[in-house]
Amino acid sequence: MLVYLLRKLAYGSLVLVLVVVIISSIIYLAPVDPARLTFGQRSDVATVEAKRSTLGLDEPLYRQLGRYLNDISPLSFHEASPANRDKYHYHPLWRSDNGVLVLKKPYLRESYQKGRLVSEMLAEAVPRTFLLALTAIGLALVIGLLLGVLAAWRPNSWFDQLAVSLSVIGISVPSYVSAMVLALVFGYWLHDYTGLEVQGSVYGLDDFGDTRYFWANLLLPALALGVRPVAIITQLTRSAMLDVLSEDFVRTARAKGLSPAVVVIKHALRNALNPVVTAVSGWFAGLLAGAFFVENVFSFNGLGQLTVNALLNYDIPVVLGAVLFTAVIFVVINVLVDVLYGWLDPRVRVGA
Amino acid sequence: MSATKLLEIIDLQTQFQTEEGTVKAPIDLLRLPEKEMRPLRDKDLAMIFQDPMSSLNPVFTCGSQVLEAIQLHQRLDRTRARQLVLDLFARVQLPDPERIYAAYPHQISGGQKQRVMIAMAMSCQPQVLIADEPTTALDVTVQKAILDLMSDLKREMEAAIVFITHDLGVIADIADRVVVMYQGRIVEQGPVRDIFLRPQHAYTKSLLACRPPVDQALRRLPVVRDFIDWREVDGQRTMVERAVSVKQTLAQHQLTEAEVEARRTRIQSGEPLLRVVDLRTWFPKGRAWWGRPQEFVKAVDGVSFEVYPGETMGLVGESGCGKTTLGRSILRLNRTRSGEVWYRGKNLLSLNATELKDLRKEVQIIFQDPYSSLNPRMTIGKAIEEPLLVHGILGKAVERRERVLELLATVDLRPEHYQRYPHEFSGGQRQRICIARALALNPKFIICDESVSALAVSVQAQVLNLLLELREKYQLTYIFISHDLSVVKFMSDRMIVMNGGKIEEMGWPEDIYQKPQQAYTRRLIEAIPRGLIRDDGF
Repeated sequence: MLVYLLRKLAYGSLVLVLVVVIISSIIYLAPVDPARLTFGQRSDVATVEAKRSTLGLDEPLYRQLGRYLNDISPLSFHEASPANRDKYHYHPLWRSDNGVLVLKKPYLRESYQKGRLVSEMLAEAVPRTFLLALTAIGLALVIGLLLGVLAAWRPNSWFDQLAVSLSVIGISVPSYVSAMVLALVFGYWLHDYTGLEVQGSVYGLDDFGDTRYFWANLLLPALALGVRPVAIITQLTRSAMLDVLSEDFVRTARAKGLSPAVVVIKHALRNALNPVVTAVSGWFAGLLAGAFFVENVFSFNGLGQLTVNALLNYDIPVVLGAVLFTAVIFVVINVLVDVLYGWLDPRVRVGA
Repeated sequence: MSATKLLEIIDLQTQFQTEEGTVKAPIDLLRLPEKEMRPLRDKDLAMIFQDPMSSLNPVFTCGSQVLEAIQLHQRLDRTRARQLVLDLFARVQLPDPERIYAAYPHQISGGQKQRVMIAMAMSCQPQVLIADEPTTALDVTVQKAILDLMSDLKREMEAAIVFITHDLGVIADIADRVVVMYQGRIVEQGPVRDIFLRPQHAYTKSLLACRPPVDQALRRLPVVRDFIDWREVDGQRTMVERAVSVKQTLAQHQLTEAEVEARRTRIQSGEPLLRVVDLRTWFPKGRAWWGRPQEFVKAVDGVSFEVYPGETMGLVGESGCGKTTLGRSILRLNRTRSGEVWYRGKNLLSLNATELKDLRKEVQIIFQDPYSSLNPRMTIGKAIEEPLLVHGILGKAVERRERVLELLATVDLRPEHYQRYPHEFSGGQRQRICIARALALNPKFIICDESVSALAVSVQAQVLNLLLELREKYQLTYIFISHDLSVVKFMSDRMIVMNGGKIEEMGWPEDIYQKPQQAYTRRLIEAIPRGLIRDDGF
């Protein structure tokens, strides 16, 4: 198991390096000058050139890449200078004449536009997005599993037909449409009854200047994000359950004299969960990467909005930081899902 | 076979005894509502199913599944219930009950799984135990062990057992009374001795006759049609029984020794068609962390033999002995580790892709499971036509259709079957379709991998006869793989007994059967259920 996890980690790091290389190349090839974008309309050539040089944008791609990889690697090599020490907060491991080998937290650089540390900006946006994604997937799981199991319980009944039709609609509606409809209906028309806001963040300041959580502001965006996962989970659960319910061991369970509820939930559902886990994990990772449309509609300043704004401004460090973070999320979730598969189904347990 | 639904519908309108020996009022189970039926299941009426591989839930341990049944019907705390499970496991002769208790179904063998099922069925001392083909999916040796176990338990527990099977040989070993069903009706019932010695109904006779006998060589197997005729009378199909006895029919089909001798000399006079030299197929088991295999499962380990043109080479052994892997390795459906397979002067293991494609025309395989080896979304016409298309034989669609219809006729199927889908056919018919598909390219050499193992005995006889007819008609050469020694003996000119990836014994079937050289072969032969018929020689 340990060997397995280590191997996964090694593959994961390789994926991260590839992500950096690919994204950097795309940005490098684009006919835009990030240095110029930092200044706005009026700026003279010399200033832009100077900026370009401080940002290292005038170097060839491989040099830029090498330096970036060195910056994000926890084990890296830097010039030993007080400036670098303040910048990287490193622990020196081994010194030589022209530098120092260090252990440090990955350094994601500063935003071109805002001058803030990218890691700080991420730290601000990620918890919001995480909360949103978790709520959305949680809602989707509860509703989707329930609908799927009930639909499979009596296939072709009115309930089954209803659940299937609803899920088809759910799959076809883009998230920005459901977001706007939900915002309009519950946040605007029905605002007096629901008390929900069209826009708003989960964190806010109250009248005394303290941080407060506005949990209600989570509900509508989470619902909007959850619509499609609900539909997909319903369909997957339903079809997997229908397969499993015709298996011999379900017959055995019934022959034992177990009640239908125990047969379905204990014996059948756990066997039907694998495709659901696959789908949910993909969606969850996707949601963690940020849901731009929904965040935009509800003015929810999460990772999605951060990424898209950075892209519009060619704020390369932010883009790279956000994409890297997303890649890490995907790698981690994949490993978790593999472990989860083994828990659900002992036949695929690693090393078993 | 219709009794599979017994526990759901239960058409047993019988009275059954309680433990004290008093008689309960008869309960009409058919009219019993589901809610009241449930407590009876497993407690009074338990069931064992056909396929132990799929009858246990793969995500729970064996122990917890039996425990669940016990706790449902008896008020026992967890420790005592657990002890009861361990006792039961010991009683069904499972080795190391503690280990099996914690094991998941995929970690134990098929026979062990069936023992777990039996333990589960017995857990609440049922009055009636319904066993639906409990040994059909198992090896003969395992089957024998399970049957012995069930006979013991029957005596010990004083439970009534309803044993459902298509195999009369098994019935002879276990039953007291027999009910014979045909087309949804009971056609005969009586004590097991009477059924075997004085069968009244023609269908019973055909069942007794169609199992391949181990002590005589037959030209073909008797089938139901030898005993029952269907005629149109007043526009209705009516059954007409033929007045023939089992013994007469068998005698009629018997091969004389001279015929057998003649066939052998004819076959052995030619050059071998296939020569397998020191073939090894190993599958990686453990891998080092960098992915290189460290240990191997030696599925086929140094096997050499020859097959002559027109010959049928039988291949027999328990599951896991490597016989299926051997068949697939010859066809290069598996990656082999070393060895040579010479077919008509070419080493198949060193052919390139194009040469291999040509070879596939000549060498075909018929798989075990006719249910899963046909694509459910393809009409059978298309399925049989596909190999013709792949190999670019018969360019015109009309010609291909013609050929497919011809093939359908060869395997006794009707032209109107062309447009139908696999689910519309019975198991025996599907296996015919697979045979037709294998024949489409005019092969010279066919590997039959457990091709009749999934079929009922009476259907099996028909398919075996068909394979024999085709062998004569098209001068085919077979490698016939089966775990059933009697089937292999009936089909083969020579046979190989395999064990642990190696050849245990090779020779003439009657020599192997009468004078087995190896203990392993002897064990296989002793395990064949043979019934009472031959012993009494009626």
